[in-house]
Amino acid sequence: MRADKQGVSIRAKNAFTGWSFILVAVLMIIAFYFYPMLEALILSFKTGTGANLSFTGWSNYERLLTDKTFLTALTNTSIYLIIQVPIMIVLALFISVLLNDNTLKFKGFFRTAIFLPCVTSLVAYSVVFKYLFGINGLVNTMLMKLSIISAPIEWITDPFWAKITIIIAITWRWTGYNMIFYLSALQNIDNSIYEAARIDGASSVTQFFKITIPMLKPIILFTSITSTIGTLQLFDEVLNITKGGPGNATLSISQYIYNLSFKYTADFGYAATVSYSIVLLIVVLSILQFKVAGEK
Amino acid sequence: MKKALVLFLTCMLLLTACSSGTKEAEKEKEPAASGGTTSTQEAGDKEITIWAWDPNFNIAALNVAKEAYNAKHPDVKINIVEYAQADIIQKLNTGLNSGTTKGLPNIVLIEDYRAQGFLQSYPDSFTDLTGKIKPEDFADYKIGPTSLNGKQYGVPFDSGVAGLYVRKDYIEQAGYKLDDLKDLDWKQYIEIGKKVKEKTGKDMITLDPNDLGILRMMIQSAGSWYLKDDGKTPDLKDNAALKKAFELYKEMMDANIVKVNADWSQFIAAINNGDVATVPTGNWITPSVKAEAAQSGKWAILPMPKLPDTNGSVHATNLGGSSWYVMNIPGSETAADFMAQTFGSDVDMYQTLLTKVGALGTLKAASQGEAYAKADEFFGGQQIVTDFAKWTSEIPKVNYGISTYAIEDILVVEVQNYLGGKNIDQVLSDAQSQAEAQIK
Repeated sequence: MRADKQGVSIRAKNAFTGWSFILVAVLMIIAFYFYPMLEALILSFKTGTGANLSFTGWSNYERLLTDKTFLTALTNTSIYLIIQVPIMIVLALFISVLLNDNTLKFKGFFRTAIFLPCVTSLVAYSVVFKYLFGINGLVNTMLMKLSIISAPIEWITDPFWAKITIIIAITWRWTGYNMIFYLSALQNIDNSIYEAARIDGASSVTQFFKITIPMLKPIILFTSITSTIGTLQLFDEVLNITKGGPGNATLSISQYIYNLSFKYTADFGYAATVSYSIVLLIVVLSILQFKVAGEK
Repeated sequence: MKKALVLFLTCMLLLTACSSGTKEAEKEKEPAASGGTTSTQEAGDKEITIWAWDPNFNIAALNVAKEAYNAKHPDVKINIVEYAQADIIQKLNTGLNSGTTKGLPNIVLIEDYRAQGFLQSYPDSFTDLTGKIKPEDFADYKIGPTSLNGKQYGVPFDSGVAGLYVRKDYIEQAGYKLDDLKDLDWKQYIEIGKKVKEKTGKDMITLDPNDLGILRMMIQSAGSWYLKDDGKTPDLKDNAALKKAFELYKEMMDANIVKVNADWSQFIAAINNGDVATVPTGNWITPSVKAEAAQSGKWAILPMPKLPDTNGSVHATNLGGSSWYVMNIPGSETAADFMAQTFGSDVDMYQTLLTKVGALGTLKAASQGEAYAKADEFFGGQQIVTDFAKWTSEIPKVNYGISTYAIEDILVVEVQNYLGGKNIDQVLSDAQSQAEAQIK
């Protein structure tokens, strides 16, 4: 009886210690994460300009379904997602396998060079890209000098090329980030597996598809989900390179939220509604990716 | 069960400990803090903060005003803070929405297109200046954006009056005289543009497809706007002036006389590199044009072209003027007094503004005087201020309402559709229905 009592008090003491360690963090997360999320949800049911907000039920959600600009933003974001994420994932995978080769010289240099874009400021690199891809920018000048094109391409002011510019920019910025995940995962694959495969006569292509890819599957899933979330939140690049133009051709959902809140007369209720559409999209897409990857 | 109870109690204990801790801390602080507040409040009454953008224009003007006011009231401390316009809008919106006035300035500069949005969205956040300044002292077209329900909230400042900046040498190379470009309509302007392009290879105008400022200038010259007079109902579908403006915009593009730019710096570069023959825009561009000293004497400023076949269109219009607003926070008395005594009435100060900064206000009484008649060598000895002041008095009054930029984003897309071949009536009626869905 006495021993049992003592056991409880030790357990209680342990629990107390454990909880007191995380309590502050939990409270902070509730205050700065969940409370704002709840407030935003409530806000999404209100309509009005600035501080004159009043509850109007589902009206914002009804507006969302008929909003052409939102549809444009959604389409643009989907295009980025469908084209850019796969390109980036494949590129990152390819580069990381190359850089993992033991016979490669100056490995450290290449790794740093490819990772470096990820630590540059979003705004700074966007501004640089804007000038590189300007009508008289470096890219056009080089392509003209190399006689690849005869007239300068309107990278920023043409609806099609503006999208391409954004895709090039985000690929440059984020490929190295994903590469790091693959590299560290590759280093965890036991070399003896490859050795065994080589003895069995597997070519390096077969090794890549039959060993590397399956072994990296959880990491590929992880990077594709984080990249999807990142693309859905795309903001800095679009705002700084094209301002969403020409004629909303590159507008992203996040930029539309910004416009609704700050460029137009502030409508925070509707902006919150559009934000929740991103939440919904991320949830749906993540579930889909889990299903496709066959993970639980 | 016991575990849960223990956990619950610990949480409660910690929470109460935390809260009582803060309470005690607050109590301890209170005497000091309230002492601090009174002292800052005393100082606060005599200390004001002002937010504005553009160091060469607005900030420079504020510094002149500060000097003038401090000469009479040396005890008032005036802090001038420079932010980009977008940052000011963001800070104001978030500040006013959060319900706390901490961190807001006493005086803020707001663009006329946005003024009604702020005045209507945040009632009681701005100080009523009726009685401190006289609205009738200022240019008529500035009163619409700066007042609400008969109360005057803003001190009208930057006129935003527009003119046609012209490269004399290019025009002459194309076989025209400067006088040929006076009192044009936009149709004739395009014809001259084609000739200029043919003879000199230079484009007539530079435009950013994302910025419809040129359409705004065109329709305001006819007393028309994106919204009806009530400032709420979208007026796009049957707006004759807007339809004309759209057609002219397409004509310019089709005539291949437009150098497309993607942002402000490219816009300025096109002017300073000598890529374009004319720049129709607000008078605030003057310092930027003059920045290229090598082009001194090559420029002139002419009245704006008007809309052809449109009733009431005049050779005067406005682009992006702005005004001062006093916020309803401690210190508003001092702030209002500062505004009333400087930008609200000080004719001498406006003369200094002109000579020192080149800033043109909208105080009617200030439009006489030596500084206004001064010839500008850069523009071939033209009395540019006298001209601008004259055009300012002719600008048609319109109600910008609260949705200028929201509607413009709809129009930007429709302009692209129109350039791509969509029927003009369809374009405007689509824009109308979208605007009606957007503005509720």
